Amino acid sequence: MRTRPGDMGPSGERSDRVDFILNLAPHLLNGLSLGFLFALIALGFMLIIGVMELINLAHGSLFALGAYVAMVVIAPTASWGGALGAWYLTQPIAFRYVLALVVAPAIIASVGMLLEVCLRRTYGKDPLYGLLFTFGAAMVIEELIRIVWGSAEKFLQVPQAINGAFLVGGLIYSKYRFFAAASALLLILLVWLFLERTPYGAMIKAGAHDSEMVRALGINLKRLRLFVFGFGTSLAAMAGIIIAPIWGLRPHVGVDAVIPAFLIIVLGGVGSFWGAVIAGVLVGLAVALTAVYVSEWSLLSMYLLLIAVVTFRARGLFGKKSILEV
Amino acid sequence: MAARHISRRSFLNTVGLGAAGAGVAFYGPWKHNHVYAAKADKSLLIGFTTDASGQYGNSGEMERRGMLMAISEFNKKGGVLGRQVETIHIDTETTPATGTRVAERMITRHEVAFLMGAVSSGVANAISLVAQRYGVVYFNTNSSSPTESGKDCHRVKFVWDGNGTNFGKATVLNAINAVGKNWVLFTNDYVWGHETSKSVRALVTQHGGKIVEEMIIPVGTRDFSSYLLKLQQIKPDVVNTAVGGDDIKALRAQVGQLGMGKTPAWVQNQQDWPDVYGLPLSGVFGIFGTTWYYKLDLPGVKEFVAQYQKMYPGVSIKVPGNVYYNGYMATRELLRAVERVGSTNNIKVIKELENLKVSAKDRMQHFDAYMNPATHQMQQTVYLATANDEAAWKKDNDDLFKVLAWSKPQDVEDTDAPKACKMESYEATPSYEM
Repeated sequence: MRTRPGDMGPSGERSDRVDFILNLAPHLLNGLSLGFLFALIALGFMLIIGVMELINLAHGSLFALGAYVAMVVIAPTASWGGALGAWYLTQPIAFRYVLALVVAPAIIASVGMLLEVCLRRTYGKDPLYGLLFTFGAAMVIEELIRIVWGSAEKFLQVPQAINGAFLVGGLIYSKYRFFAAASALLLILLVWLFLERTPYGAMIKAGAHDSEMVRALGINLKRLRLFVFGFGTSLAAMAGIIIAPIWGLRPHVGVDAVIPAFLIIVLGGVGSFWGAVIAGVLVGLAVALTAVYVSEWSLLSMYLLLIAVVTFRARGLFGKKSILEV
Repeated sequence: MAARHISRRSFLNTVGLGAAGAGVAFYGPWKHNHVYAAKADKSLLIGFTTDASGQYGNSGEMERRGMLMAISEFNKKGGVLGRQVETIHIDTETTPATGTRVAERMITRHEVAFLMGAVSSGVANAISLVAQRYGVVYFNTNSSSPTESGKDCHRVKFVWDGNGTNFGKATVLNAINAVGKNWVLFTNDYVWGHETSKSVRALVTQHGGKIVEEMIIPVGTRDFSSYLLKLQQIKPDVVNTAVGGDDIKALRAQVGQLGMGKTPAWVQNQQDWPDVYGLPLSGVFGIFGTTWYYKLDLPGVKEFVAQYQKMYPGVSIKVPGNVYYNGYMATRELLRAVERVGSTNNIKVIKELENLKVSAKDRMQHFDAYMNPATHQMQQTVYLATANDEAAWKKDNDDLFKVLAWSKPQDVEDTDAPKACKMESYEATPSYEM
């Protein structure tokens, strides 16, 4: 007969509570790792909304485009560059992967900046114009991906060192998943450091708080917005490169990114950095844990979480309080 | 609702003929011939209700290609009944509501003679409700829920793919005997997933097995880590997956990454070619059912593959699979049926198709196929396959499958479907002729 929770019974049986915790622990860890990935997806989206008050519906398509560009950087299929091309293909995948992590976001940042230039005519007008423009851009980018790479599933190669699985406590885990979660966490911290510790980060935060004041202080708002848009879209690309080996790579994979990104921003509070991160983690935990115990609700769980939070706190977890709020 | 025996089109034709006949008395016989000439000149329009986006966008594209190949063969020989076949396609977006709208539009606005195409059973069911209302013959080319030829059967609908019960019968007993009795079901959360899992559950129980857990996988799931962790905690003998489209691709990739392809044993009820093409071999694990494979050593297969590659040289899927094959076969048999009856009258075509028999050689399968008149489902050979040997795959990266066995249609027939299927009568089905 068991006397206290955690005590082993006379025949060495664990209590139900300990069993429950031991069974739950891997799922909590899994949910946390998923949460960091969601937070990474939402980060670029959050920056653009925060500074420019613009919902960039092309975020998902840029997420996908970043992954496709990285795929080409890692393993170009067309013959190019003559001797240089041949040399490049002999380089280790790890080298090409790291190069892709730098080059692909830079290319997508340029695409993002071009989008921002086209968006300028919508500033100061009905926000619907900007929304519709980015929605149209999302469609165009997705179709371009389909035209260039086709609609069949593609794969992003990753270095062997982070591929495969490992065993902990009798359970198999994916090495790449932990790498992805760690990378997401690192990126989140780097972005935070950039925003908190650099002058440009201060300008971005100021622009998010009061763009008119920033302009009045002589800061070039046009250039700031251009930079923020490029930065935000490059983060979308980074998220795409990191997550594509888990989710797969197909032209419409961006839809799987933009909807959770939008939800996380609203849940965390529009414009709040830590709101986006914490909301991402909460969404990851909700999705992972419901998948285990009430699997048919797993995708719905993030929406239920959103409803539960905004019902009682309309501004989200860390959103700014409105003067209308008592 | 009273049967509508005279369509607007046939009424106008009759009036036109009457007017032409009256005109003959004043203007000579050439006016009468002109009416017939006009009808023979008019092309036969077929509506493609295939997905171009969403969960089954890839498969939708493949089945459309198969349909187009069949049509091009007929058009090269002069068309059907002397009429060229044209097509119109609207994306059904793997969404039932869109399928309904598309079917309605194609019938009422474009006045298609026939409707073809579906991979999602939810979409197929939605389309068939509209088709039955207007009497338009509809070919469900690739959806596999047992309900399509069961409780959701219709007089106008014909089902061309094997269903969850057919594939289950081919796979379940073998897996229980070879591997073990404790099963977990992965069920995609829509009609095909649920009905397939229900049928597998019945078969497992019937053969002495036990379903220890059923995990419902919402459509659109990309991250399977929680499910795979739980699977490891449960430690079943067999996992049966009724998961399709983009979801199964993600699942296979993640199982491959974890190296879980061998333990537990995986049974994918049915594996569509576009959902697995391009995966590394580690992603093609377990055993699964299919209705055709491009490397079957049967007459006509090599030529069929060559024709596909000639017609579609630049596509990313270099060899055709079951989805393309079903689209092609369904279209070919429809057009042949129209030719045999010498008319596009829907009731005549339906009656002709209900008695359809196609030889194994003509089907490029191992056994003769036949239409079950009670359910309107094509009974055909079902193949069991698994991942190919690595050596063979390295020689040809497209050669992903090793076919293990094939079952006669009679051995895997869904014997419950005729009891569940309550088809509308011919009289209750509106009649038309295009």
